[in-house]
Amino acid sequence: MEIAESMTSPLNIAVIVKLEPDFSEGSVSYNSDGTLNRAETKSILGPHSAIASAAAFYAKVKYGAAISIATMGPPIADSALQRAQLISDAESLYLYSDRIFSGADTLATAEVLKTGIKKMEDAGTIDIVFSGHRASDGETGQTGPQTAWKLGYTFLGNVISYNVDINKRILTAERLITLQGTTDIIEEIEAPLPVFITVDPSYKSVFNTVSLRLALVKYQKEAEQRAQNYKNYLKILNAQQLGVDSKFVGLPGSPTIVYKVERIPKARANRRAEVIDGADRQQLRRAAQKIHEIVGRVNQ
Amino acid sequence: MPIGEKVTNSSNEHDSCYRHLYVVVEHQDDKILPVTLEMLGEARRLMDNFNGRYSSSEKVVALVLGNNIKKLCEELIYYGADAVISVENPNLEYPINLIYTKVISQVARDKVCASKISPEYSENFRKPRYMFFSADNIGRHLSSTVLAELESGLASDINKLVIEDLDIKHEHKTKGQLVRYEKTLEMYRPDFSGFLWTTILCLDNRNPAIQREYHPQACSIIPGVFAALQREPARKGIIVEFNPELDQADKAVKILNRQVTKSPVDFDSHKVVISFGRGIKDAPEDNIKLIGQLANELNAEIGVSLPISKKPYSVSEPVSSLYLNPDRVIGTSGRKIAPTLYVAIGVSGAMQHIAGMKESGFVIAINTDPESPIRDECDIFIKGRMEDVLPLLIEEVKMQNQVMEVHE
Repeated sequence: MEIAESMTSPLNIAVIVKLEPDFSEGSVSYNSDGTLNRAETKSILGPHSAIASAAAFYAKVKYGAAISIATMGPPIADSALQRAQLISDAESLYLYSDRIFSGADTLATAEVLKTGIKKMEDAGTIDIVFSGHRASDGETGQTGPQTAWKLGYTFLGNVISYNVDINKRILTAERLITLQGTTDIIEEIEAPLPVFITVDPSYKSVFNTVSLRLALVKYQKEAEQRAQNYKNYLKILNAQQLGVDSKFVGLPGSPTIVYKVERIPKARANRRAEVIDGADRQQLRRAAQKIHEIVGRVNQ
Repeated sequence: MPIGEKVTNSSNEHDSCYRHLYVVVEHQDDKILPVTLEMLGEARRLMDNFNGRYSSSEKVVALVLGNNIKKLCEELIYYGADAVISVENPNLEYPINLIYTKVISQVARDKVCASKISPEYSENFRKPRYMFFSADNIGRHLSSTVLAELESGLASDINKLVIEDLDIKHEHKTKGQLVRYEKTLEMYRPDFSGFLWTTILCLDNRNPAIQREYHPQACSIIPGVFAALQREPARKGIIVEFNPELDQADKAVKILNRQVTKSPVDFDSHKVVISFGRGIKDAPEDNIKLIGQLANELNAEIGVSLPISKKPYSVSEPVSSLYLNPDRVIGTSGRKIAPTLYVAIGVSGAMQHIAGMKESGFVIAINTDPESPIRDECDIFIKGRMEDVLPLLIEEVKMQNQVMEVHE
């Protein structure tokens, strides 16, 4: 049934998401030395994964796209899939979970994700893959583009908006490129499908017609119902079921290793601070005078 | 190393297949981006050291793609490159990931290029030994796709590099044996908190069951971290031109329009920058308002620390989109600034943040904890909760403004 549905859809979309530590206040826990306390910090669908799911949902509302969400992670990562389904109204959820995947660097992670998407293609072409800009914990931003390259899809990063010409099978997108200093470049680019998009943090879907808003409400309701019963849509695949070569995934498939982790040594003090008491009005007045000495000098 | 344990040295076997350090150049509006010059500076220092230590003469190679880039090539030599590989083609005017990845990978594997750079090292040449990209919106993606194509390892956001011979014992890499890896690039990466340094290595699998070679050892480098060399027009080097093989399909990805804009957040034209960090947490909305008032009095631009850009607090939507914003991040993950006056409010002073503000003229910190690292990076440390200090300080600053007006 699901397969038949996706075959008839005008556009087939996959979204790659990740379960990440929750950095929001009240959830995140830091050790006294300022490092993240992983044991105490809850995990959620990563914020950039949420944006990627929202970007996929735009295609559902606008073009009636069929959506599959995939993640690589431990069994509890199904909560990230559920959350992403609620955002995107996905028809299918895939969890790639196997002990041999653990410890993977970005290239070995990309190998699993590539294999997963290739497997989706058995049921029909995939036109667009979305993933987050970067994970909040790893922060490399490499897994998306590496998966794209392994798939042979055109990679577009930092996408802030997109539209698809379904008949011509061409996608146009706006990208935001920030370079050192204050230069921002807005680039409009077109590429034939299939494409792999990582979504810029500033991405926002715009539903600006009545018919889009009606479709939005309809799919949001559907998403709520589906997410309540997300396990009906979920497939869990291990390495063997995916058909990955164990030599190319997990630790054995990772070119890089973490050699050591250390505290960054405290730098030599660059300045000698005068410490003043924030409750002492006189001392604050002197600070304000100092500020004006400096700012006043500048203003002249 | 445990005493008496035998070290297997199998690294020389393929060592001659990998030569030189390739730096992927970025440019915009006929100017080389500062991060490229910084990478060349660090590459020069590393390879001078390397060549002295290993009695070799491997090169710093700048790889530049574009259209009308002749002028850039000499500049790259003046800033430390021994050789420049120039790929000039109208289809390469802008960095499109697909076509750039193909061309860079072609160059990386090209034996003819390698032989023009250094005939003595070309016989067994397969790929570069090391490769640098910049950790910006272009280099981050390009490094990922190029290393996926070259099937080797990549570390991102690096701010310290060391080349060492390392004795490694690893379950998978060496099957638990102690093996010496010569000429290994130690790539140091600060984590998101700025308090931990992770060293990443890219190592060949010497385990017979999964034997594989992983070169180049590659990384993306944080802009603004390393020092560029002085421009030295007397410096000599060679320029090699490379003709890429392009498919029709590569040209199907087209840029329709490209506009250079300035970010609405403008640190450069403000003499005062006020930044805030996780210290706002007890009353985020109210504290940001107070900070806004102080900024108003001092005609200051507002910055934030990295954790703030992850929107960790629930505040009203206008405040969130205006301030809890990656555009405002000061530090190695954001902007590097040098205002006349810098005021850090509730910022602990992680190394990444310090790197972005240490060139400031005068620094004032407001913080509850006199042991926080920001204390060593400021000129006045105001100890107290910002909820208490800011209203008083704003009043005092206002009074000073009035005093000034009277004097004028």
